[in-house]
Amino acid sequence: MNRTCFERRRMLGDSFCGFGSLALAAMLREKSLAESKSPLAPKLAHLPAKAKSVIFLFMAGGPSHLETFDPKPLLNTLNGQVRPTEFGDAKYQFVQKDARLLGTKRQFQRHGQSGIEVSDLFPNVSKMIDDIAVIRSCYGDMVVHSAAQYELLSGRVMPGFPSMGAWTIYGLGSESQSLPAYVVMPDPEGALEAGQPMYGNGFLPAAFQPTMFRPGERPVLNLELPAGVSLNERRRTMDLIRNLNESSLTSEDLEFAARLESYELAFKMQTEAPDVFDVTRESEETLRLYGVGTEPTDDYGRRCLLARRMVEQGVRFTVVVSGGGSGNTQWDAHGDIEENHCRMAAETDKPIAGLLIDLKRRGLLDTTLVVWGGEFGRSPEAQGGKGRDHHNLGFSMWMAGGGIRGGQVVGATDAIGLRAVESPYHFRDIHTTILNQLGLDQDLLIYPHLGRNERLTQLRGKVIHQIV
Amino acid sequence: MVARIARIITQYRIIALSLIIASCSAEVSYSDPPKSSQLSDDLDFFETKIRPVLVKHCYECHSESSNELQGGLRVDTREGLRIGGDSGPAVVPGNAAQSLLLSAIRYQDLEMPPVAKLDDAAIANIQRWIETGAADPREGAAILPDSTPNIQKSSGFWSFQPIQVPAFPAVLNTSWPTSPIDTFILAKLESSGLGPAPPADKSELVRRVYFDLHGLPPTPDQVHSFVTNDAPDAYERLIDELLASPRYGERWGQHWLDVVRFAETEGFEYDRTIQGAWRFRDYVIRSFNDGKPIDAFITAQLAGDEMDSNQPQGLVASGFHRLGAVRRNAGNQEVAGSRNEVLTERTDIIGSAIMGLTVGCARCHNHKFDPISQADYYRLQAFFAASQDVDVPMVPESEKLVWEKANTAVQTQIDELKSQLATQSLDEQKLTRKKMDKLEKELPPALPSISTVRNQLEKETPIYVLRRGDFSLPGKRVAEGIPKVFSNDVEPLQIDRAKPRTALAQWLTSPKHPLTSRVFVNRIWLNHFSRALVATPNDFGLNGKLPSHPELLDYLADFFMRGGWQAKSLHRLILLSSTYRQSSQPISKEVGHSLDPDNALLWHYPLRRLSAEEIRDSMLIASGQINFAIGGPSVILPVDKQLVAQLYKPSQWEVTPEIGDRMRRSVYLFAKRNLRLPFMEVFDQPTLQTSCFGRQQSTHAPQALELLNGPMANQMAEAFAERLKHEVGSDVARQIDFAFEWTLGRLPTDGERGFAISFLEKGSTREFALALFNLNAFLYVR
Repeated sequence: MNRTCFERRRMLGDSFCGFGSLALAAMLREKSLAESKSPLAPKLAHLPAKAKSVIFLFMAGGPSHLETFDPKPLLNTLNGQVRPTEFGDAKYQFVQKDARLLGTKRQFQRHGQSGIEVSDLFPNVSKMIDDIAVIRSCYGDMVVHSAAQYELLSGRVMPGFPSMGAWTIYGLGSESQSLPAYVVMPDPEGALEAGQPMYGNGFLPAAFQPTMFRPGERPVLNLELPAGVSLNERRRTMDLIRNLNESSLTSEDLEFAARLESYELAFKMQTEAPDVFDVTRESEETLRLYGVGTEPTDDYGRRCLLARRMVEQGVRFTVVVSGGGSGNTQWDAHGDIEENHCRMAAETDKPIAGLLIDLKRRGLLDTTLVVWGGEFGRSPEAQGGKGRDHHNLGFSMWMAGGGIRGGQVVGATDAIGLRAVESPYHFRDIHTTILNQLGLDQDLLIYPHLGRNERLTQLRGKVIHQIV
Repeated sequence: MVARIARIITQYRIIALSLIIASCSAEVSYSDPPKSSQLSDDLDFFETKIRPVLVKHCYECHSESSNELQGGLRVDTREGLRIGGDSGPAVVPGNAAQSLLLSAIRYQDLEMPPVAKLDDAAIANIQRWIETGAADPREGAAILPDSTPNIQKSSGFWSFQPIQVPAFPAVLNTSWPTSPIDTFILAKLESSGLGPAPPADKSELVRRVYFDLHGLPPTPDQVHSFVTNDAPDAYERLIDELLASPRYGERWGQHWLDVVRFAETEGFEYDRTIQGAWRFRDYVIRSFNDGKPIDAFITAQLAGDEMDSNQPQGLVASGFHRLGAVRRNAGNQEVAGSRNEVLTERTDIIGSAIMGLTVGCARCHNHKFDPISQADYYRLQAFFAASQDVDVPMVPESEKLVWEKANTAVQTQIDELKSQLATQSLDEQKLTRKKMDKLEKELPPALPSISTVRNQLEKETPIYVLRRGDFSLPGKRVAEGIPKVFSNDVEPLQIDRAKPRTALAQWLTSPKHPLTSRVFVNRIWLNHFSRALVATPNDFGLNGKLPSHPELLDYLADFFMRGGWQAKSLHRLILLSSTYRQSSQPISKEVGHSLDPDNALLWHYPLRRLSAEEIRDSMLIASGQINFAIGGPSVILPVDKQLVAQLYKPSQWEVTPEIGDRMRRSVYLFAKRNLRLPFMEVFDQPTLQTSCFGRQQSTHAPQALELLNGPMANQMAEAFAERLKHEVGSDVARQIDFAFEWTLGRLPTDGERGFAISFLEKGSTREFALALFNLNAFLYVR
């Protein structure tokens, strides 16, 4: 541990004790969970839980199923032709009815004992395929980014509803006292179409909002002391706040107990979180495993590694976003599927495989549900010759860990990957399955809003029984 | 034998009917004679093997005769099965795999019927029936008609009944009530074994009433002048003074802006700025300040453009219809769908904001709790069928032409660059985008304009009852009309086709309307007591909470309407009551907690955490920085640049250059849907996406971090410290007194003074100021 860090911790530790009286501090620490006033105190799950945490690897912009996990030889055969009518209709964002089908240049091979076919975009992830359950029959309702992203994250095609992360911490609270319960790590390339509201707490109280991490060493706002304020000085300020609050205690002391606790938690975050953010403490070997220190994997690798460190600290829900800014720096390959997907996959393949390996060897994969996917897949038809348009009628996602039985494929699209035809799963089914692994029941995880008991899944989803 | 012949005749009639209807499934061709006999076999199969099973096992919950239709699914009509319920089509002819009916009776996903699984033969029959085309002669809609048992049952609910002028209840303690309100409150307290708290002392009361009416703390002078004024009408005069101040509208306007989900950007992907949206905010503030009657206020918002289309005020008011989030995206191939989303926003907000009814629930199916049918919903939507967005420039035509020319010149270049993107490499694209961003800055500033709506009858959208709320599944067409449950209460509406929303407003603000006035007075009550009489202010329906004091609610609604819908009269009535003037310290906390832990009966005045706006404005007051400028374009404050980078267009966050402007009241801060200030967000500012009837008061660690380490609190503390030095000088004791008075509205106690003095021996004034901002006594009002 480097010296300054150690000192900071010690001094802040002292200052925490100074914040409340020693006796009060001890009482707060020993207080049972049930007594905690914090809205994020851990809560019992509705059902036996398999997963304690979720890491959502959000491939924003819509990765193609046809280039990744859903091989379609017939599509190559039909390359350049108009879609045969027996496959039915589809509505895209841009592509019109007369568009031509586009075969893929990617090669698919069977991997692992399960022999699941994965494309050569993912040489590393494919080695972990026996831990992965590929869902090839996902579908959503919307074919444009913003609405589809809202649906993927919050189950609704419009903003203003709580995201799955917010629902999760509303249902389970947090195991971590020193870190936010729900973390989003956006891609430093920039924004997504649905913007920050897609991750939000919607109508749930503000305690369930996500913490948006910023790139760099100080991901969380307001954890550092303001410039020019020394630790010692701040400790005295905290003492003053306590003394003044206590000298005017009134009958509302019960309500104020929650505030006192929030200051205590804030202090713990301030003292302990910076160490967790410091990925340089990891061994050389681990850094290499995630591709940290080499391009093009450094950034996503760092964030995946940070996600593992979050999980170790009891963070419930972490979103690690790949893709941001204008379409082509997302998985939004309208112009050139090859160029875009080779680049996006190269940035993420090694970090994701590293994350799975690392979680597994530390015994964390059993209790950590890892979910991979985007807001939709891509069209079997070409857009402008080399690109693919958005496509919501059938695409792939995968899950690993957290009680998921890997090494299997669920569902199927038709022979050209147009439509989910076998065991189709809507986003609400994905959500229901995620909740189920966390021990949450979609019918019990409800919140009254404008006259309705709202739930994440709105129309109720089903658990994908084959993989749990 | 006779029965058999009858059935055959029926079948022929059905075939004939089917031919006429003709839109039936393509799987069965009716024109081909051999297949026709096939059809007759299929129908026979249906009659013998399928219909009896459906009747016996499914109709109880899934038919017109169901007490409450389950899952929005009807299985007693062909349409019902094919359109399906909430989960989608139940039967897809020829496709067993996609037919939910089959997977449900196989207990694969859903388990139907829930009592016991059907026997294998029945399941096999249903599978065969679906695979062979699911022939089904049963006509009828997929959705239930208006007059379902549910609707008739729930129309007797209290909130649909006329407002009754109640008699004052008898009370034992006749000396306590000073207002009719008090008798209603006291009667409930007494019958529950409770009593009111003692009166609040003057210093408690003055701070309470300033925050309540202005959202601001009183200055030390204001506290002093009230506390030392012994005139019997001192309090009454204070209230009149506060109601006459422009600060009043800034506070109470914000409550309404929350309810109508006011924002200045469209949300979704582009989150475009709505030009001149701030004019609506100013309109609301001004209306409250001017004492505009609330019925006229509501009418102007619903139909201001119809009333006098050349009057800017009316146009600004009907900007109300532009407040919902709007999804725009490139290459939209679903124009009808987008239009439907806009109309949905326009309809649903009438329910939540004005009627306090969740009419939006009836968009996909008849309302599950309230007497609102799906057809009622679309009749309501039809009032908006002709409304189209317009931005009315507030400049002469000649100036507009000049602007258009300048704008086109740059826009063409941007469009040209945009068209090149598709064929460029990633690096080239980045370069092009930079050029585009640069050009965008050269666009002439938007013309001052009013964002509003106008009726364009030639572009009127035909309104259909949409099955499952899906715009691609239109049912019967409907014209504008009020929900049937209300039709006995008011005269039949005279609808002028050119001014449909005027008729809607007339109905909503009719004194006979059972909801509008009740809903509004309940909102006023909520914001005085942090708790509403109907604890679900946007839902007065069967699923909402019952009123804690139904007679009081009706008394207030009646008082309000008889007095000409004056919000200020209502405030006065409430603020002068003994109920409002109670202390926050009850006589017996233990008794109160055991009998009424939520304080629903008001046995003491409730403690309230300040809203995000109030906390910021209070810091501005204390630090002496507040700028009380009124109205005009919104202020954009600096935000962490990484957060701005997460905007689709970071250039949308153009920080207000003048420091003095950044010190304006929080109601004037830019309301952007995709980026809210972290400070406002942690203190429960609503999302700006859906109607918010009242602020949450959550307590969590990021609030502490924001107030201790955040830039807003620290900048305020810095300025407060400067002010202390500047205005008080170096005398520490005087600094302390001054600081307490400007933050907590009172002098410190001896004990507090002792802590402060010993802190300031070594500590900085800046940290002292920051500590005060973190005190419970600063953040709460009692």
